[in-house]
Amino acid sequence: MASSVSRLVRAAPALGLIAIAAWSALRVVGAGGAVPDDAAWAATSARVRSELRGGELIVFAPRWVEPVGRLHLGDRIPIEMAGRLDAARYPVIWELSIRGARAPETRGLVPTTTFAVGGVTARRFERAAAVVVTDFAPVIGTATVTGPRVRGPDLVLAEVGFTPRRCAQVVPQPDGEVAMTFAGVELGTELAVGAGLADVFTRRDVRDPGELAVAVDGVELARFRFGVDDGWVTRTLVTRPGSATVTFRARAVGLRASNRLVCFAAEARR
Amino acid sequence: MRPSRAIVRATGAALFALTIAIALVAQRDVGLARDELVYMSAGDGYARWWIDAVTFKDGTVSERGITAAWGGKGATDHNREHPPLMKTMFGLSKRLLHDRLGVASTVTAYRAPTALMHGVLVLVVFAWVVAAWGYAEAVLAALLTLFLPRALFHAGLACFDGPIATMWVASLYCYWRALSRWWWAPIAGVVWGLALATKHNALLIPFAIAPHFVWVIVRDGLHRAGPGPWRWGRGIALGVFGRWYVPLSLIVLGPLTLLAVWPWLWLAPSGHVRAWLQFHLHHVHYNFEYLGDNWNHPPFPWHVAVVTTLFTVPAATLAAAAVGTLVKARAWWQTRATAAPSTEPGLLLASSVAASMGPFVLGSTPIFGAEKHWEAAIPSLCIAAALGAVWAARAAVAALVAQWPRLGARAATAIAITAVGGALVISAAAETAHAHPYALSSYNAIAGGAPGGADRGMNRQFWGYAARGVLPFLRAQSPGRVYSHDASPAWGTYLRDRRLPPGFGDSGNEEGGIAASQYAIVIHELHFNRHDFMIWSNYGTVQPVFVLRADGVPIVTVYRRPTKPTR
Repeated sequence: MASSVSRLVRAAPALGLIAIAAWSALRVVGAGGAVPDDAAWAATSARVRSELRGGELIVFAPRWVEPVGRLHLGDRIPIEMAGRLDAARYPVIWELSIRGARAPETRGLVPTTTFAVGGVTARRFERAAAVVVTDFAPVIGTATVTGPRVRGPDLVLAEVGFTPRRCAQVVPQPDGEVAMTFAGVELGTELAVGAGLADVFTRRDVRDPGELAVAVDGVELARFRFGVDDGWVTRTLVTRPGSATVTFRARAVGLRASNRLVCFAAEARR
Repeated sequence: MRPSRAIVRATGAALFALTIAIALVAQRDVGLARDELVYMSAGDGYARWWIDAVTFKDGTVSERGITAAWGGKGATDHNREHPPLMKTMFGLSKRLLHDRLGVASTVTAYRAPTALMHGVLVLVVFAWVVAAWGYAEAVLAALLTLFLPRALFHAGLACFDGPIATMWVASLYCYWRALSRWWWAPIAGVVWGLALATKHNALLIPFAIAPHFVWVIVRDGLHRAGPGPWRWGRGIALGVFGRWYVPLSLIVLGPLTLLAVWPWLWLAPSGHVRAWLQFHLHHVHYNFEYLGDNWNHPPFPWHVAVVTTLFTVPAATLAAAAVGTLVKARAWWQTRATAAPSTEPGLLLASSVAASMGPFVLGSTPIFGAEKHWEAAIPSLCIAAALGAVWAARAAVAALVAQWPRLGARAATAIAITAVGGALVISAAAETAHAHPYALSSYNAIAGGAPGGADRGMNRQFWGYAARGVLPFLRAQSPGRVYSHDASPAWGTYLRDRRLPPGFGDSGNEEGGIAASQYAIVIHELHFNRHDFMIWSNYGTVQPVFVLRADGVPIVTVYRRPTKPTR
């Protein structure tokens, strides 16, 4: 018995290598089979379309499959939706995912509907949506702008943290601060702000952070920094409903902070 | 029993020819990498210069003539930031195989020298292992070197990453040979010089050789010195005296060979060498995705080389390499006190891995080329895998023969080696074939294949070569200019080679190019997401019309300008 075990042990490396070789090849060659094809996406998308209403957010997971998702449902994703500040304004979120992945937008939510076709799982989530009373970025042209700047502010769809962001983009002079003031705008109970540094190449070449301050009627409610690796940083501030003057101050922090493409979006919500 | 010399040579020749054939056939499906176009163009000029020089054309070997072909005031004029050996071969090959003989397409003719070099790599691996360990190990090591998805990809490009792996291993092999036979020493010097003329990685070869050389001569010297006073001093002196010609050959012939094949250095040897090295010491950090993050600035994670290797070399090869390394390390440890001094090929291969991958542990070395930057280390793993597989097969046979004594040990050994080695080779070959032609998007079983690599946030690709995969889709569309971004250097060649009909010309760069385009492609790398967003803004839609995938993982997306913007 002992000698049989000993012989088995001596043969184990050979048998193990043969087994690993078989597993390795099968796993690699078969890997694509675990990714749903266009037929599965088309079938899932068709069913989603039949239930989809205007203003409902569509997200995909994992992140890398997003081009395929947009291939099948991109016509139902306006650019404003793709470049959103966050998901708070959408009462319904459709998540289409593969391989068990989940989108960050649906974290903590419970789906009302779930179905899967050929490996694509669709989940519908409902939530109490925030009502946006003022969306600042699209009206950046109405702001009073002061302070030393290289260019901007302009409404753009920018890359921030490798995600799309529809935002007001301004490039302050190094160590300079640009104030953008909106007079007489309507506020709700909260002011959601997102900000970050746009453009991967200038983030690589210049490592200094940017900063954004938010003031309502002259009172500074928040001031926060975002570095080259921070991506899209969000803050939610409590505000008093009614008309007010809101000032956003974008700053390139430091004398070496050239080409800081400060990109921000803000929504007054109730 | 060892096969006859004739069989060994025939096997080496067959492996050499097989490798070249596979590399040449495979590259026909691979799109043009951005850098290739630069090297092809430079190589044309270098080849023309050499032909003018050997035909004594007036003014060729003058400062003006050399500068016009090899250099210039700009840091990248005539690609003078890279040494010339492969570019010269690309240019000469194109003239011979395409222009004169007409036996190859333009692109294949340019790429043929790299395929040839890959054949040399497999041949050197075979020759080294057969000399150091045995025939079965050698055949297996050679085949495992051939069936590496990423290495075979690089073996089909008119670039330097495959060739420098070849020249690195060849330099070490010649050096190792020189430890036993003096006349290999000048060959080693010349081969290292050619390695220097291939790519700057060759500057690291002394870091692989030096510790090994010290180890070998000290052990040998101490053995020869015997006991007595001043043993270490006498031993080192004896060791150095016995092999002084090895370092001398490398130090003298290496730089001289580099100088001989690089006319740009003739004008200002130290200044132009300094400029060459400075360029790479201050090289811009390209963007590279690794474990979910985009890296374009040091410090980089210390484990990039280790993890990337664990995710890209076939898993069975890695497993066998682990077995081989453990077995050889154990054997070395058990006999370290009693074994006679040897030339320690295993130690040299380990030193090769350390020298090749070591810089990437520092956190400051650019990582943007992933495994191609330390490709020279991978043959060491293949050799270790072969040793491990043959050891495992023999251990199994020993167990079987003990159980069934009537079993013929020789036949059983042959069968067992064929079974274990065959399984490894077939597995690696299957993975290599499956990775083709998008091998830079491929990942091994440990990562979970290409989708697993995407899940783990590993780099999708680089160089824009995958754009060729969307050309059949574009051909089926009505003509219109194409925003090709990272593939723009190759676009003219695609049109010239009629992979696209006229009317699909490149539309230009960035926003202006997008505005002038009817179609736009995005080659998926994390930092290229910005191209998607620029296209969305201009086309007014986020919806592509085609997504090229490798194992379901998007690698190139195509947009078509809507007739009426949706927004």
